[in-house]
Amino acid sequence: MINDYQTYNSKILKIENEGSESKTFTLSLSYPDFSFEPGQYVMVSLPGFGESPISLTSYFNEKKFIQLTIRKVGILTSAIHELKKGDMIGIRGPYGNSFPIGIAKGKNVLIVAGGIAIEPVRPIILDAVNNPGKYKKVFIFYGCRDESALIYKKEYPAWQKVCDLSLALDNPTTKKFTKGVVTALFDVKDIPADSIAYVCGPPVMYKFVLAKMMEKGFNPENIYVSLERHMDCGQGICQHCAIGTKYVCKDGPIFSYAELMNFKTWLSAI
Amino acid sequence: MNKTQFNKFVEYLLKKDNVFAPQRNVEGKLIIGPLKNAKDLYLGAELPLDSWKWYMIPPYQKMFDYKGDKMIETLPEANKQIFLGVSILDMQALTLLNQIFEQDPYYQEIKKKTIIIGTSHVPEDNFSEYFAEFEENKLEHLQFDIFLAVLGNDFKLYTGSEDGQRFLDDFGYKNYKHIEYAGPIREEGLDPQMVSVMDGMQNYHDQKIWDDLGKRCIQCGKCTIACPTCFCFRIFDKAHLQRGTGERDRCWDTCFYNEFTQTAGVAPDAPKHKMMNTTAQKIYFWYEHHFVRTPATFSLPGCVECGRCTRACPADIDVFQTQRDILAARTKGKKK
Repeated sequence: MINDYQTYNSKILKIENEGSESKTFTLSLSYPDFSFEPGQYVMVSLPGFGESPISLTSYFNEKKFIQLTIRKVGILTSAIHELKKGDMIGIRGPYGNSFPIGIAKGKNVLIVAGGIAIEPVRPIILDAVNNPGKYKKVFIFYGCRDESALIYKKEYPAWQKVCDLSLALDNPTTKKFTKGVVTALFDVKDIPADSIAYVCGPPVMYKFVLAKMMEKGFNPENIYVSLERHMDCGQGICQHCAIGTKYVCKDGPIFSYAELMNFKTWLSAI
Repeated sequence: MNKTQFNKFVEYLLKKDNVFAPQRNVEGKLIIGPLKNAKDLYLGAELPLDSWKWYMIPPYQKMFDYKGDKMIETLPEANKQIFLGVSILDMQALTLLNQIFEQDPYYQEIKKKTIIIGTSHVPEDNFSEYFAEFEENKLEHLQFDIFLAVLGNDFKLYTGSEDGQRFLDDFGYKNYKHIEYAGPIREEGLDPQMVSVMDGMQNYHDQKIWDDLGKRCIQCGKCTIACPTCFCFRIFDKAHLQRGTGERDRCWDTCFYNEFTQTAGVAPDAPKHKMMNTTAQKIYFWYEHHFVRTPATFSLPGCVECGRCTRACPADIDVFQTQRDILAARTKGKKK
């Protein structure tokens, strides 16, 4: 019988530092026909250190490697940060649904992210960069604690050729950045309210960002949110990630805001 | 099947495989355990303290052995086992677990070596009342191998699988009827009580019910252990003393514990987001799982109304009373 808990090894091809706390790992495919959609995640593991869900962050049409950006926050991620090029990482998946990017073709796109949570939306940014003209205009709102925490910094010039990138920092040192949380960017830049929005951030961010977007006249059906939850199985069984009648691991992690409004417990339990 | 024949049948089972059955322990409490002697078997309306899930999804289960970076699948070394005297309520619970773990190789490894012999006994204070009176047509929505319908001092026998038929044929008993499993959903549709409680929780939310329960519940998690349909688990690695070797295991988890929804871990400045922070939120989650999520996903009641959680609760939280409160809030809400 197929064992869905079986991990497959991926070789580390490259390690890059991202900001002060994160690293981007470029990995070989864990099995030959591995493919994924933007917004999906894999269960990442190291024998002896357990498993954790991590979003795939590379371009989804790239068939030679995958990338994961991992912040050092716990036992497993600390152990992964010790790894060297050539070491193996266990992967199972990909799991979950994906950002519906087909509907955004020819339309304005807004990407809102906070901190490390820019990771799951990077495949969409890379899609825009690789296919100029696919989307009408792509706006990126990215908020971070400080300049040292910004990730994918090296890629910003390439992104900016196609996308309109706005950055907000809690404590900016130069005029390049807007002071405040990512919500502040909505008052600096006018975004067409008919844009398709892809949002990912810590739970605290959603409350304020979504309220702001409602205020600016966005349609809840055009806002897609990626949720983070504790997950053990990745297959909708173990119950850790459940909200209402759905499982974030299987029915998510991407939900439209319109859908989430039906669940009393998505942002915080009752 | 009369008493004498039945006793012979139990003797036959004991000789064949390991039999697990309800019996009294030294304290006089009704438990499930390996049956050594036919005379120890308890068949009656009282439900054993534990449920059969202990044998189907053991509290602690090895999933993989690892050596270096290789993960090697280790399926449970399950012996053939016979569950004798499974109440029809517990059969409903096992039918649900069969659906939930249909893709799980560990569960299936145990299931394919297990023979389930059910009975029509139900406790007197059964809230759902659906199984209070046994009717033959109720059996086609339950998964079992052999079923003993209580008829006075005798049993009427049914089989629900080829394994069950083979067992009775080999024993030399022919007077049984075969019932083919027709899926979990009954002809008359979804269980009306299940639908009402689900509707009450989803559409007539009464915060007072949950705030009150939140004040009483002590988050001990005993209900999750007692419940025949609580199956949450966590997966973790255990290193062995020899460097580079160990195992990946899973064990029961409970939604009442703080780590259940916590993301990220032990690093001192790690952002420890938790989705459930109060007792009321946790107990709501437990009820939501049983009375909303499971019915919505499997069209089956997530609670078989066995009352084990009530029996185990040190804070006297009564699952039947909570359902009455939910239904009352619904009735009140509908009037408005």
